[in-house]
Amino acid sequence: MNQNMAAAMELRCWGGDWGLPSVHTESLIVLLLKAYTKFSGAKVAVSPIDWTWKTITVTVPELVCGDTAVQEPTQILNFLRKQRFNADYELTARQGADTMAYIALLEEKLQPALLHTFWVDAENYSNLTRPWFASRSPFPLNFFVPGRLASGALSRILLTTGEAPLHRISEVEGKIYSDAKECLNLLSYRLGTANFFFGNSPTSLDAFAFGFLAPLHKASLPSSPLQSHLRQLDNLTGFCDNILAVYFSSDHFCKIAAQAGPLPPVQETMDANLQKLTQLVNKESNLIEKMDDNLRSSPQHKPHRPEPKPSLSSAKSSTPA
Amino acid sequence: MVCRRYTNKAAEPWPENATLYQPLKEDQILLSDCASSLAVQAYLRMCGLPVQVFCRANAEYMSPSGKIPFIHVGNQVVSELGPIVQFTKAKGHSLSDGLDDVQRAEMKAYMELVNNMLLTAELYIQWCDDSTATEISRPRYSSPYSWPLNKILAYQKQWEVRRKMNAIGWGGKTLEQVYEDVSQCCQALSQRLGTQSYFFNKQPTELDALVFGHLFTILTTRLTSTELAERVKSYSNLLSFCRRIEQTYFEDKSS
Repeated sequence: MNQNMAAAMELRCWGGDWGLPSVHTESLIVLLLKAYTKFSGAKVAVSPIDWTWKTITVTVPELVCGDTAVQEPTQILNFLRKQRFNADYELTARQGADTMAYIALLEEKLQPALLHTFWVDAENYSNLTRPWFASRSPFPLNFFVPGRLASGALSRILLTTGEAPLHRISEVEGKIYSDAKECLNLLSYRLGTANFFFGNSPTSLDAFAFGFLAPLHKASLPSSPLQSHLRQLDNLTGFCDNILAVYFSSDHFCKIAAQAGPLPPVQETMDANLQKLTQLVNKESNLIEKMDDNLRSSPQHKPHRPEPKPSLSSAKSSTPA
Repeated sequence: MVCRRYTNKAAEPWPENATLYQPLKEDQILLSDCASSLAVQAYLRMCGLPVQVFCRANAEYMSPSGKIPFIHVGNQVVSELGPIVQFTKAKGHSLSDGLDDVQRAEMKAYMELVNNMLLTAELYIQWCDDSTATEISRPRYSSPYSWPLNKILAYQKQWEVRRKMNAIGWGGKTLEQVYEDVSQCCQALSQRLGTQSYFFNKQPTELDALVFGHLFTILTTRLTSTELAERVKSYSNLLSFCRRIEQTYFEDKSS
């Protein structure tokens, strides 16, 4: 039923680090949705754009399905929804309205401060963000890509929050950080003690919240009052860790081999994840397929599965146009 | 020491001669500014604070933040609904004190939804849609000025708004997509309002003022096409919400 529609969708995004599947906020949002809809049958292959020329040519995240390319998390959400991979299926109309409202709150109040923390704050930018993005871009793009992203972030902050006489970033800094702290408090009140914002499974609001909060939580920022504020809100940090453990644990397995040295917190969650993973493998054969995709196996590698999925084999045998 | 000075100022009661400034109502004001101004007026009426409305051609330049409307109270000038709400709260008048933390979070989220979607859509339709910009926005915006200043100011404003639209990702949208976003926003508001009189309990809050300001203005402003008003009209509970607030708080103005 889904195999006709799920014609080899490909998601292009920035790669992962710091224990996250991707360090880029918008890519993270879509990755969580992809992880969730994987269990409902959506076939989306993740191709990181690190070390390719796509870092400068492509706006990430980008979902490519056949001939169409969709950008921006909200558009990708709508596209997946039309393809019947809907994470919000079980929400009531009122909860759907709340989702829209909270996503607007995140975009208006939290995003400017996040952009500022990662891209405009001089210490963070020169010590963390720029080296990371420069190291993931091929030569000679590593000289251009971080600067381009940084100037884009700065102009976005100034145009949306800086008012006409206050064209200098220093005058809006205080306001955007106080707005962001208030937004984090509001999110914390709304989440309460639950695992997700609505019910027991993630929805698009969880995806957006995770996308915004996880980089702030996990990145080792030299100076960030916002990060320390987030760390005081236990339910929000628990929310991120819970999602990482449940939906991205197998990714950790693969990335742990690629990383120079495993981080101790990731190691502890991985032992617990091993048990969870065994349970999931027994339940869902899709999970094996997911691990295959993540290992980025070579074309000659034949998947070891009891029942070969026709979509996967047809995708592998078709020659790229 | 600074705190003490601030508390002294805030403790002054609301004066009788508080004034609100906006652009000229008949000839100059545009949809988005009219909506913001009406939202502030509705909020102040809901709080029971008297304010006189003055129309000035250079209101935008007098405003401390460049945005309309702004109020002049005592010897302080505050612009935009958010800061005005905080200002009146410091003076002891607040509509949202009875809300608990989760409700307050919801209220702020819905206010951001209105700003993010409705206000941005209004700006888009005014300045990025060529027919509306040529026939309505540019002539109206620059009506108090003579040539060549009117041309310069109108195109400068249009360039600024288009730059902002591009920065937030609305630059590539078509008019149809913008109307669709307005519909979705109205649907969310309609579902949140349900059959209640106001969005929270039986008392209005700043969210009600903001929603009223935008929806009423959209319904009563004539643009090049009636599509925007039609989209709002399809939600009957929003229509009756607007009518109810108009009758309750603006009855001296209603015909």
